[in-house]
Amino acid sequence: MSDTDRDSIIARVRRFILEEFLPGEDPEDLTDSMPLISGGILDSIKNMRLIGFLEEEYGVAFEAHEISFEFLDTLELITSTVQAKLAEKK
Amino acid sequence: MDFALSEDQRILRDEITRFAENELNDDIAERDRGQTFSREQWDKCAEMGLAGLPVPEQYGGSGLDGLTTAIALEALGYGCRDGGLVFSLCAHLLACTVPIWKHGSDELKERYLPGLCAGTTIAVNAMTETTSGSDAFNMACRAVKDGNGYRINGTKIMSTNGPIADIVITYSQTDPEKGAYGGLTGFVLDAKTEGIRTDQKFEKMGLRTSMLGEVVFEDAYAPEEAMIGKVGGGTAIFTQSMEWERTLIAAAHLGTMRRLLEDCIAYARTRVSGEHTIGKHQAVSHKIVDMKIRLEAARNLTYCSAWNLDRSRTSAMASSMTKVFVSEALVQTALDAVQIHGGHGFLTETGVERILRDSIGGTLYSGTNEVQRNIVAGWLGL
Ligand SMILES: Cc1cc2nc3c(=O)[nH]c(=O)nc-3n(C[C@H](O)[C@H](O)[C@H](O)COP(=O)(O)OP(=O)(O)OC[C@H]3O[C@@H](n4cnc5c(N)ncnc54)[C@H](O)[C@@H]3O)c2cc1C
Repeated sequence: MSDTDRDSIIARVRRFILEEFLPGEDPEDLTDSMPLISGGILDSIKNMRLIGFLEEEYGVAFEAHEISFEFLDTLELITSTVQAKLAEKK
Repeated sequence: MDFALSEDQRILRDEITRFAENELNDDIAERDRGQTFSREQWDKCAEMGLAGLPVPEQYGGSGLDGLTTAIALEALGYGCRDGGLVFSLCAHLLACTVPIWKHGSDELKERYLPGLCAGTTIAVNAMTETTSGSDAFNMACRAVKDGNGYRINGTKIMSTNGPIADIVITYSQTDPEKGAYGGLTGFVLDAKTEGIRTDQKFEKMGLRTSMLGEVVFEDAYAPEEAMIGKVGGGTAIFTQSMEWERTLIAAAHLGTMRRLLEDCIAYARTRVSGEHTIGKHQAVSHKIVDMKIRLEAARNLTYCSAWNLDRSRTSAMASSMTKVFVSEALVQTALDAVQIHGGHGFLTETGVERILRDSIGGTLYSGTNEVQRNIVAGWLGL
Protein backbone atom coordinates (compact mmCIF):
# COMPACT_ATOMS: atom_id res chain seq x y z
CA MET A 1 0.00 0.00 0.00
CA SER A 2 1.53 3.36 -0.97
CA ASP A 3 1.21 6.53 1.12
CA THR A 4 -0.88 8.09 -1.61
CA ASP A 5 -3.57 5.49 -2.14
CA ARG A 6 -7.06 6.43 -1.06
CA ASP A 7 -7.11 4.53 2.24
CA SER A 8 -3.73 5.86 3.33
CA ILE A 9 -4.68 9.45 2.58
CA ILE A 10 -7.99 9.14 4.42
CA ALA A 11 -6.26 7.58 7.42
CA ARG A 12 -3.52 10.24 7.50
CA VAL A 13 -5.93 13.16 7.17
CA ARG A 14 -8.28 11.64 9.75
CA ARG A 15 -5.38 11.37 12.20
CA PHE A 16 -4.40 14.99 11.54
CA ILE A 17 -7.94 16.27 12.10
CA LEU A 18 -8.41 14.21 15.25
CA GLU A 19 -5.08 15.27 16.73
CA GLU A 20 -5.29 18.91 15.80
CA PHE A 21 -8.96 19.80 15.89
CA LEU A 22 -10.77 17.10 17.85
CA PRO A 23 -8.49 16.07 20.70
CA GLY A 24 -10.08 13.40 22.87
CA GLU A 25 -12.81 12.56 20.35
CA ASP A 26 -13.56 8.94 19.55
CA PRO A 27 -11.92 8.29 16.12
CA GLU A 28 -14.98 6.21 15.21
CA ASP A 29 -17.09 9.36 15.31
CA LEU A 30 -15.17 10.97 12.46
CA THR A 31 -16.63 9.15 9.51
CA ASP A 32 -15.52 9.58 5.92
CA SER A 33 -18.69 11.44 4.98
CA MET A 34 -19.09 13.57 8.07
CA PRO A 35 -19.46 17.26 7.11
CA LEU A 36 -16.44 19.09 8.48
CA ILE A 37 -17.19 22.69 7.51
CA SER A 38 -20.96 22.68 7.82
CA GLY A 39 -20.53 20.51 10.94
CA GLY A 40 -18.42 23.24 12.54
CA ILE A 41 -15.22 21.17 12.82
CA LEU A 42 -13.29 23.32 10.32
CA ASP A 43 -13.44 27.10 10.48
CA SER A 44 -11.48 29.50 8.28
CA ILE A 45 -8.26 29.23 10.33
CA LYS A 46 -8.47 25.46 10.72
CA ASN A 47 -9.04 25.25 6.99
CA MET A 48 -5.76 27.08 6.39
CA ARG A 49 -3.98 24.80 8.83
CA LEU A 50 -5.41 21.76 7.05
CA ILE A 51 -4.35 23.12 3.67
CA GLY A 52 -0.85 23.79 5.03
CA PHE A 53 -0.68 20.21 6.22
CA LEU A 54 -1.91 18.75 2.91
CA GLU A 55 0.46 20.89 0.87
CA GLU A 56 3.44 19.90 2.95
CA GLU A 57 2.53 16.24 3.36
CA TYR A 58 1.67 15.57 -0.29
CA GLY A 59 3.67 18.25 -2.11
CA VAL A 60 0.56 19.67 -3.78
CA ALA A 61 -0.69 23.25 -4.04
CA PHE A 62 -4.23 24.49 -3.44
CA GLU A 63 -5.73 27.38 -5.34
CA ALA A 64 -7.77 30.04 -3.57
CA HIS A 65 -11.16 28.80 -4.82
CA GLU A 66 -10.41 25.26 -3.64
CA ILE A 67 -10.55 26.29 -0.01
CA SER A 68 -14.25 25.59 -0.04
CA PHE A 69 -17.08 23.17 0.75
CA GLU A 70 -16.73 21.49 -2.62
CA PHE A 71 -13.18 20.37 -1.95
CA LEU A 72 -12.87 20.11 1.82
CA ASP A 73 -16.20 19.37 3.49
CA THR A 74 -15.62 15.67 4.15
CA LEU A 75 -12.69 13.30 4.46
CA GLU A 76 -13.86 11.76 1.19
CA LEU A 77 -13.77 15.09 -0.63
CA ILE A 78 -10.39 16.03 0.81
CA THR A 79 -8.97 12.70 -0.29
CA SER A 80 -10.39 12.99 -3.80
CA THR A 81 -8.97 16.49 -4.10
CA VAL A 82 -5.52 15.39 -2.97
CA GLN A 83 -5.61 12.40 -5.30
CA ALA A 84 -6.65 14.55 -8.25
CA LYS A 85 -3.78 16.92 -7.53
CA LEU A 86 -1.31 14.07 -7.24
CA ALA A 87 -2.53 12.68 -10.56
CA GLU A 88 -2.12 16.12 -12.18
CA LYS A 89 1.47 16.24 -10.96
CA LYS A 90 2.39 12.98 -12.69
CA MET B 1 17.30 33.26 7.88
CA ASP B 2 19.95 35.93 7.58
CA PHE B 3 18.80 39.47 8.10
CA ALA B 4 22.16 41.17 7.59
CA LEU B 5 21.47 43.76 4.89
CA SER B 6 23.14 43.12 1.55
CA GLU B 7 24.91 45.95 -0.26
CA ASP B 8 21.88 46.36 -2.56
CA GLN B 9 19.48 46.48 0.37
CA ARG B 10 21.61 49.11 2.10
CA ILE B 11 21.69 51.26 -1.03
CA LEU B 12 17.92 50.92 -1.46
CA ARG B 13 17.28 51.82 2.18
CA ASP B 14 19.53 54.87 2.03
CA GLU B 15 18.09 56.10 -1.26
CA ILE B 16 14.51 55.83 -0.03
CA THR B 17 15.36 57.49 3.28
CA ARG B 18 17.08 60.40 1.52
CA PHE B 19 14.24 60.74 -0.95
CA ALA B 20 11.56 60.71 1.75
CA GLU B 21 13.37 63.17 4.00
CA ASN B 22 13.93 65.60 1.14
CA GLU B 23 10.69 65.28 -0.81
CA LEU B 24 7.81 64.23 1.41
CA ASN B 25 7.87 66.34 4.55
CA ASP B 26 6.54 69.76 3.50
CA ASP B 27 3.34 71.21 4.95
CA ILE B 28 2.27 68.05 6.75
CA ALA B 29 0.64 69.88 9.67
CA GLU B 30 -1.54 71.87 7.26
CA ARG B 31 -2.47 68.86 5.19
CA ASP B 32 -3.25 66.95 8.37
CA ARG B 33 -5.48 69.77 9.59
CA GLY B 34 -7.25 70.10 6.25
CA GLN B 35 -7.42 66.34 5.62
CA THR B 36 -5.72 66.81 2.28
CA PHE B 37 -4.20 64.04 0.23
CA SER B 38 -1.14 65.15 -1.73
CA ARG B 39 -1.26 63.75 -5.24
CA GLU B 40 2.06 65.43 -5.94
CA GLN B 41 3.79 63.49 -3.19
CA TRP B 42 2.02 60.30 -4.17
CA ASP B 43 3.42 60.73 -7.68
CA LYS B 44 6.90 61.29 -6.32
CA CYS B 45 6.65 58.06 -4.31
CA ALA B 46 5.48 56.23 -7.39
CA GLU B 47 8.38 57.61 -9.42
CA MET B 48 10.68 56.17 -6.75
CA GLY B 49 9.11 52.77 -7.47
CA LEU B 50 7.37 52.56 -4.09
CA ALA B 51 3.97 51.66 -5.54
CA GLY B 52 5.18 48.39 -7.04
CA LEU B 53 8.02 47.17 -4.84
CA PRO B 54 7.41 43.38 -4.85
CA VAL B 55 5.62 43.16 -8.20
CA PRO B 56 7.62 41.51 -11.01
CA GLU B 57 9.50 43.85 -13.31
CA GLN B 58 7.54 42.67 -16.37
CA TYR B 59 4.50 44.47 -14.90
CA GLY B 60 6.39 47.62 -13.94
CA GLY B 61 7.36 46.67 -10.39
CA SER B 62 10.79 46.20 -8.83
CA GLY B 63 10.51 42.45 -8.21
CA LEU B 64 11.71 42.69 -4.60
CA ASP B 65 11.30 39.78 -2.20
CA GLY B 66 9.19 40.19 0.95
CA LEU B 67 12.13 41.02 3.20
CA THR B 68 13.57 43.64 0.84
CA THR B 69 10.11 45.16 0.48
CA ALA B 70 10.00 45.42 4.28
CA ILE B 71 13.39 47.15 4.32
CA ALA B 72 12.19 49.62 1.67
CA LEU B 73 8.97 50.41 3.56
CA GLU B 74 10.87 50.76 6.83
CA ALA B 75 13.03 53.38 5.12
CA LEU B 76 9.92 55.16 3.86
CA GLY B 77 8.37 55.13 7.36
CA TYR B 78 11.61 56.52 8.74
CA GLY B 79 12.10 59.32 6.24
CA CYS B 80 8.49 60.31 5.65
CA ARG B 81 6.70 62.12 8.46
CA ASP B 82 3.36 61.94 6.65
CA GLY B 83 1.88 58.75 8.13
CA GLY B 84 -1.27 59.12 6.03
CA LEU B 85 0.65 59.11 2.76
CA VAL B 86 2.64 56.02 3.78
CA PHE B 87 -0.59 54.29 4.83
CA SER B 88 -2.38 55.13 1.56
CA LEU B 89 0.52 53.78 -0.42
CA CYS B 90 0.68 50.60 1.64
CA ALA B 91 -3.07 49.99 1.30
CA HIS B 92 -2.81 50.49 -2.46
CA LEU B 93 0.17 48.16 -2.80
CA LEU B 94 -0.65 45.44 -0.30
CA ALA B 95 -4.44 45.12 -0.23
CA CYS B 96 -5.02 45.94 -3.92
CA THR B 97 -1.98 45.34 -6.10
CA VAL B 98 -0.86 42.14 -4.35
CA PRO B 99 -4.13 40.20 -4.95
CA ILE B 100 -4.15 41.12 -8.65
CA TRP B 101 -0.49 40.13 -8.97
CA LYS B 102 -0.95 36.87 -7.04
CA HIS B 103 -4.34 35.75 -8.38
CA GLY B 104 -5.37 37.84 -11.36
CA SER B 105 -5.60 36.43 -14.88
CA ASP B 106 -2.85 37.43 -17.32
CA GLU B 107 -5.32 39.86 -18.82
CA LEU B 108 -6.04 41.53 -15.47
CA LYS B 109 -2.35 41.72 -14.65
CA GLU B 110 -1.50 43.30 -17.99
CA ARG B 111 -4.41 45.68 -17.76
CA TYR B 112 -3.93 46.93 -14.21
CA LEU B 113 -0.48 46.23 -12.79
CA PRO B 114 1.55 48.69 -14.90
CA GLY B 115 -0.70 51.62 -13.86
CA LEU B 116 -0.80 50.48 -10.24
CA CYS B 117 3.00 50.15 -10.08
CA ALA B 118 3.47 53.51 -11.82
CA GLY B 119 0.99 55.08 -9.37
CA THR B 120 -1.00 56.57 -12.23
CA THR B 121 -3.86 54.34 -11.10
CA ILE B 122 -4.86 54.51 -7.42
CA ALA B 123 -6.70 51.55 -5.91
CA VAL B 124 -9.08 50.98 -3.01
CA ASN B 125 -9.77 47.69 -1.27
CA ALA B 126 -13.47 47.70 -0.37
CA MET B 127 -14.29 44.93 2.10
CA THR B 128 -15.69 46.31 5.37
CA GLU B 129 -19.45 46.91 5.61
CA THR B 130 -21.63 48.55 8.25
CA THR B 131 -22.63 45.19 9.70
CA SER B 132 -19.47 43.22 8.92
CA GLY B 133 -16.12 44.57 10.07
CA SER B 134 -14.32 41.99 12.19
CA ASP B 135 -16.74 39.41 10.86
CA ALA B 136 -15.77 40.49 7.34
CA PHE B 137 -16.73 37.29 5.54
CA ASN B 138 -20.29 37.59 6.77
CA MET B 139 -20.92 40.42 4.33
CA ALA B 140 -24.20 41.56 2.85
CA CYS B 141 -22.79 42.63 -0.52
CA ARG B 142 -24.06 40.35 -3.29
CA ALA B 143 -22.82 39.61 -6.79
CA VAL B 144 -25.58 37.90 -8.76
CA LYS B 145 -24.94 36.17 -12.07
CA ASP B 146 -26.17 38.19 -15.03
CA GLY B 147 -25.28 36.98 -18.51
CA ASN B 148 -21.52 36.67 -18.77
CA GLY B 149 -20.91 38.61 -15.60
CA TYR B 150 -22.31 39.67 -12.23
CA ARG B 151 -24.45 42.50 -10.87
CA ILE B 152 -23.01 43.79 -7.62
CA ASN B 153 -25.09 45.46 -4.92
CA GLY B 154 -23.97 46.60 -1.50
CA THR B 155 -22.18 49.31 0.44
CA LYS B 156 -18.61 49.10 1.63
CA ILE B 157 -17.44 51.55 4.28
CA MET B 158 -14.11 52.73 5.69
CA SER B 159 -12.25 52.04 2.48
CA THR B 160 -8.79 53.62 2.30
CA ASN B 161 -8.24 55.63 -0.90
CA GLY B 162 -11.97 55.30 -1.73
CA PRO B 163 -12.53 58.99 -2.54
CA ILE B 164 -9.46 59.18 -4.82
CA ALA B 165 -9.56 55.71 -6.34
CA ASP B 166 -9.41 54.91 -10.03
CA ILE B 167 -10.03 51.22 -9.49
CA VAL B 168 -11.89 49.21 -6.86
CA ILE B 169 -10.94 45.79 -5.53
CA THR B 170 -13.95 44.32 -3.80
CA TYR B 171 -15.36 41.09 -2.44
CA SER B 172 -18.99 39.97 -2.69
CA GLN B 173 -21.13 36.97 -1.90
CA THR B 174 -21.55 34.95 -5.08
CA ASP B 175 -23.02 32.02 -3.14
CA PRO B 176 -24.40 33.06 0.25
CA GLU B 177 -25.03 29.42 1.23
CA LYS B 178 -21.31 28.69 1.07
CA GLY B 179 -20.34 32.01 2.66
CA ALA B 180 -16.67 32.14 3.61
CA TYR B 181 -16.09 28.62 2.28
CA GLY B 182 -16.32 29.10 -1.45
CA GLY B 183 -19.12 31.69 -1.51
CA LEU B 184 -17.07 34.90 -1.74
CA THR B 185 -15.49 36.23 -4.89
CA GLY B 186 -13.10 39.09 -5.58
CA PHE B 187 -13.52 41.57 -8.41
CA VAL B 188 -11.56 44.49 -9.79
CA LEU B 189 -13.51 47.28 -11.45
CA ASP B 190 -12.90 50.78 -12.73
CA ALA B 191 -14.21 53.21 -10.13
CA LYS B 192 -16.09 55.03 -12.90
CA THR B 193 -18.14 51.94 -13.73
CA GLU B 194 -21.83 52.79 -13.90
CA GLY B 195 -23.41 51.94 -10.56
CA ILE B 196 -20.30 52.61 -8.43
CA ARG B 197 -20.07 55.67 -6.18
CA THR B 198 -16.99 56.67 -4.16
CA ASP B 199 -17.83 60.24 -3.23
CA GLN B 200 -18.37 59.85 0.54
CA LYS B 201 -15.38 60.86 2.69
CA PHE B 202 -15.01 60.16 6.43
CA GLU B 203 -13.33 62.50 8.90
CA LYS B 204 -10.98 60.73 11.29
CA MET B 205 -8.66 61.25 14.26
CA GLY B 206 -5.41 60.21 12.58
CA LEU B 207 -3.91 59.36 9.20
CA ARG B 208 -5.82 62.41 8.07
CA THR B 209 -3.88 62.87 4.84
CA SER B 210 -5.11 59.43 3.75
CA MET B 211 -8.60 59.45 2.32
CA LEU B 212 -11.18 57.07 3.79
CA GLY B 213 -14.58 56.64 2.19
CA GLU B 214 -17.50 54.53 1.11
CA VAL B 215 -17.78 52.45 -2.03
CA VAL B 216 -21.39 51.97 -3.03
CA PHE B 217 -22.46 49.39 -5.62
CA GLU B 218 -25.88 49.82 -7.19
CA ASP B 219 -26.36 47.19 -9.85
CA ALA B 220 -22.73 47.65 -10.90
CA TYR B 221 -21.89 45.22 -13.69
CA ALA B 222 -18.74 43.13 -13.37
CA PRO B 223 -17.90 41.07 -16.44
CA GLU B 224 -16.48 37.59 -15.88
CA GLU B 225 -13.01 38.92 -16.77
CA ALA B 226 -13.14 41.30 -13.79
CA MET B 227 -13.00 38.37 -11.39
CA ILE B 228 -9.78 37.98 -9.39
CA GLY B 229 -8.97 34.29 -9.47
CA LYS B 230 -11.92 31.95 -9.77
CA VAL B 231 -15.43 32.11 -8.40
CA GLY B 232 -15.40 31.29 -4.69
CA GLY B 233 -11.75 32.21 -4.16
CA GLY B 234 -12.44 35.49 -2.37
CA THR B 235 -11.79 34.34 1.20
CA ALA B 236 -8.31 33.02 0.53
CA ILE B 237 -7.38 35.90 -1.77
CA PHE B 238 -8.46 38.53 0.74
CA THR B 239 -6.79 36.64 3.60
CA GLN B 240 -3.49 36.52 1.76
CA SER B 241 -3.65 40.23 0.96
CA MET B 242 -4.20 40.95 4.65
CA GLU B 243 -1.14 38.87 5.54
CA TRP B 244 0.94 41.08 3.25
CA GLU B 245 -0.68 44.21 4.66
CA ARG B 246 -0.28 43.21 8.31
CA THR B 247 3.39 42.41 7.87
CA LEU B 248 4.45 45.23 5.61
CA ILE B 249 2.56 48.13 7.17
CA ALA B 250 4.34 47.00 10.33
CA ALA B 251 7.59 47.43 8.40
CA ALA B 252 6.74 51.08 7.76
CA HIS B 253 5.96 51.42 11.49
CA LEU B 254 9.50 50.28 12.30
CA GLY B 255 10.79 53.35 10.52
CA THR B 256 8.41 55.61 12.43
CA MET B 257 9.51 54.06 15.73
CA ARG B 258 13.16 54.51 14.84
CA ARG B 259 12.57 58.17 14.05
CA LEU B 260 10.67 58.69 17.32
CA LEU B 261 13.49 56.98 19.22
CA GLU B 262 16.12 59.21 17.63
CA ASP B 263 14.02 62.35 18.18
CA CYS B 264 13.55 61.42 21.83
CA ILE B 265 17.23 60.71 22.37
CA ALA B 266 18.16 64.05 20.81
CA TYR B 267 15.56 65.87 22.90
CA ALA B 268 16.52 64.10 26.13
CA ARG B 269 20.18 64.97 25.60
CA THR B 270 19.53 68.68 25.14
CA ARG B 271 16.44 69.59 27.15
CA VAL B 272 17.53 70.76 30.59
CA SER B 273 15.46 70.42 33.73
CA GLY B 274 17.10 71.68 36.92
CA GLU B 275 20.78 70.69 36.94
CA HIS B 276 20.62 68.06 34.24
CA THR B 277 19.42 67.21 30.81
CA ILE B 278 16.22 65.18 31.12
CA GLY B 279 17.96 62.08 29.74
CA LYS B 280 19.86 61.87 33.03
CA HIS B 281 16.59 61.19 34.84
CA GLN B 282 16.05 57.47 34.93
CA ALA B 283 12.31 57.99 34.53
CA VAL B 284 13.05 59.39 31.08
CA SER B 285 16.01 57.24 30.04
CA HIS B 286 14.17 54.02 30.89
CA LYS B 287 11.28 55.04 28.67
CA ILE B 288 13.77 55.54 25.86
CA VAL B 289 15.44 52.21 26.57
CA ASP B 290 12.04 50.52 26.35
CA MET B 291 11.50 52.24 22.99
CA LYS B 292 14.76 50.73 21.78
CA ILE B 293 13.87 47.26 23.06
CA ARG B 294 10.44 47.42 21.43
CA LEU B 295 11.98 48.56 18.14
CA GLU B 296 14.53 45.73 18.03
CA ALA B 297 11.95 43.10 18.95
CA ALA B 298 9.51 44.55 16.43
CA ARG B 299 12.12 44.48 13.69
CA ASN B 300 12.95 40.84 14.31
CA LEU B 301 9.30 39.82 14.21
CA THR B 302 8.61 41.90 11.10
CA TYR B 303 11.64 40.73 9.11
CA CYS B 304 10.90 37.12 10.01
CA SER B 305 7.28 37.52 8.92
CA ALA B 306 8.28 39.34 5.71
CA TRP B 307 10.80 36.63 4.88
CA ASN B 308 8.05 34.05 5.36
CA LEU B 309 5.41 35.78 3.22
CA ASP B 310 5.93 33.74 0.12
CA ARG B 311 7.25 30.65 1.78
CA SER B 312 4.70 29.13 4.08
CA ARG B 313 1.04 28.93 5.05
CA THR B 314 2.15 29.70 8.61
CA SER B 315 2.91 33.23 7.46
CA ALA B 316 -0.71 33.85 8.52
CA MET B 317 0.20 33.40 12.18
CA ALA B 318 3.46 35.32 11.84
CA SER B 319 1.75 38.27 10.18
CA SER B 320 -0.93 38.46 12.88
CA MET B 321 1.66 38.32 15.66
CA THR B 322 3.70 40.98 13.91
CA LYS B 323 0.70 43.21 13.39
CA VAL B 324 -0.33 43.05 17.05
CA PHE B 325 3.12 43.54 18.47
CA VAL B 326 4.29 46.29 16.16
CA SER B 327 1.09 48.34 16.15
CA GLU B 328 0.96 48.26 19.95
CA ALA B 329 4.68 49.01 20.17
CA LEU B 330 4.11 52.04 17.95
CA VAL B 331 1.23 53.34 20.10
CA GLN B 332 3.30 52.95 23.27
CA THR B 333 6.35 54.54 21.67
CA ALA B 334 4.33 57.50 20.39
CA LEU B 335 2.67 57.92 23.79
CA ASP B 336 6.06 57.88 25.53
CA ALA B 337 7.44 60.32 22.96
CA VAL B 338 4.68 62.81 23.82
CA GLN B 339 5.47 62.37 27.54
CA ILE B 340 9.20 62.84 27.02
CA HIS B 341 8.58 66.04 25.06
CA GLY B 342 6.44 67.31 27.93
CA GLY B 343 3.93 70.04 27.08
CA HIS B 344 5.72 70.57 23.78
CA GLY B 345 4.79 67.05 22.80
CA PHE B 346 1.16 68.03 23.15
CA LEU B 347 1.54 70.92 20.72
CA THR B 348 0.72 70.30 17.09
CA GLU B 349 3.89 72.07 15.94
CA THR B 350 6.26 69.36 17.23
CA GLY B 351 4.47 66.71 15.17
CA VAL B 352 4.69 64.10 17.92
CA GLU B 353 0.99 64.19 18.79
CA ARG B 354 0.15 63.56 15.13
CA ILE B 355 2.13 60.33 15.21
CA LEU B 356 0.23 59.26 18.32
CA ARG B 357 -3.09 59.97 16.59
CA ASP B 358 -1.91 58.13 13.47
CA SER B 359 -0.70 55.15 15.48
CA ILE B 360 -4.12 54.30 16.95
CA GLY B 361 -5.41 53.23 13.53
CA GLY B 362 -2.81 50.46 13.46
CA THR B 363 -4.64 48.52 16.14
CA LEU B 364 -7.84 48.64 14.05
CA TYR B 365 -7.19 48.38 10.32
CA SER B 366 -6.22 45.12 8.57
CA GLY B 367 -8.34 43.43 11.24
CA THR B 368 -8.38 44.61 14.85
CA ASN B 369 -5.75 43.37 17.28
CA GLU B 370 -8.40 41.36 19.12
CA VAL B 371 -9.14 39.53 15.88
CA GLN B 372 -5.41 38.99 15.28
CA ARG B 373 -5.14 37.39 18.70
CA ASN B 374 -8.07 35.13 17.77
CA ILE B 375 -6.19 34.11 14.61
CA VAL B 376 -3.05 33.26 16.55
CA ALA B 377 -5.15 31.34 19.10
CA GLY B 378 -6.63 29.35 16.20
CA TRP B 379 -3.17 28.51 14.90
CA LEU B 380 -2.16 27.41 18.39
CA GLY B 381 -5.04 24.96 18.41
CA LEU B 382 -7.06 26.90 20.98
C1 LIG C 1 -7.71 53.92 9.30
C2 LIG C 1 -8.55 52.79 8.83
C3 LIG C 1 -8.44 52.34 7.53
C4 LIG C 1 -9.23 51.29 7.07
N1 LIG C 1 -9.13 50.91 5.75
C5 LIG C 1 -9.93 49.93 5.28
C6 LIG C 1 -9.89 49.56 3.89
O1 LIG C 1 -9.09 50.08 3.11
N2 LIG C 1 -10.76 48.62 3.44
C7 LIG C 1 -11.65 48.02 4.26
O2 LIG C 1 -12.39 47.17 3.80
N3 LIG C 1 -11.71 48.33 5.60
C8 LIG C 1 -10.88 49.27 6.11
N4 LIG C 1 -10.95 49.63 7.45
C9 LIG C 1 -11.94 48.99 8.31
C10 LIG C 1 -11.34 48.01 9.30
O3 LIG C 1 -10.87 46.87 8.63
C11 LIG C 1 -12.42 47.69 10.35
O4 LIG C 1 -12.68 48.87 11.06
C12 LIG C 1 -11.98 46.59 11.30
O5 LIG C 1 -11.87 45.35 10.65
C13 LIG C 1 -12.96 46.44 12.49
O6 LIG C 1 -14.28 46.36 12.06
P1 LIG C 1 -15.38 47.31 12.74
O7 LIG C 1 -14.89 48.70 12.67
O8 LIG C 1 -16.69 47.00 12.13
O9 LIG C 1 -15.38 46.90 14.28
P2 LIG C 1 -16.23 45.69 14.93
O10 LIG C 1 -16.05 44.47 14.16
O11 LIG C 1 -17.61 46.19 15.18
O12 LIG C 1 -15.49 45.55 16.33
C14 LIG C 1 -15.77 46.38 17.45
C15 LIG C 1 -14.89 45.91 18.61
O13 LIG C 1 -15.24 44.55 18.95
C16 LIG C 1 -14.10 43.72 18.86
N5 LIG C 1 -14.47 42.42 18.30
C17 LIG C 1 -15.30 42.18 17.25
N6 LIG C 1 -15.38 40.87 17.00
C18 LIG C 1 -14.55 40.26 17.87
C19 LIG C 1 -14.18 38.91 18.11
N7 LIG C 1 -14.66 37.92 17.35
N8 LIG C 1 -13.32 38.64 19.12
C20 LIG C 1 -12.82 39.66 19.87
N9 LIG C 1 -13.13 40.96 19.71
C21 LIG C 1 -13.98 41.25 18.72
C22 LIG C 1 -13.16 44.45 17.91
O14 LIG C 1 -11.82 44.03 18.09
C23 LIG C 1 -13.40 45.88 18.27
O15 LIG C 1 -12.65 46.21 19.41
C24 LIG C 1 -10.15 50.66 7.95
C25 LIG C 1 -10.24 51.10 9.27
C26 LIG C 1 -9.46 52.14 9.72
C27 LIG C 1 -9.57 52.58 11.15
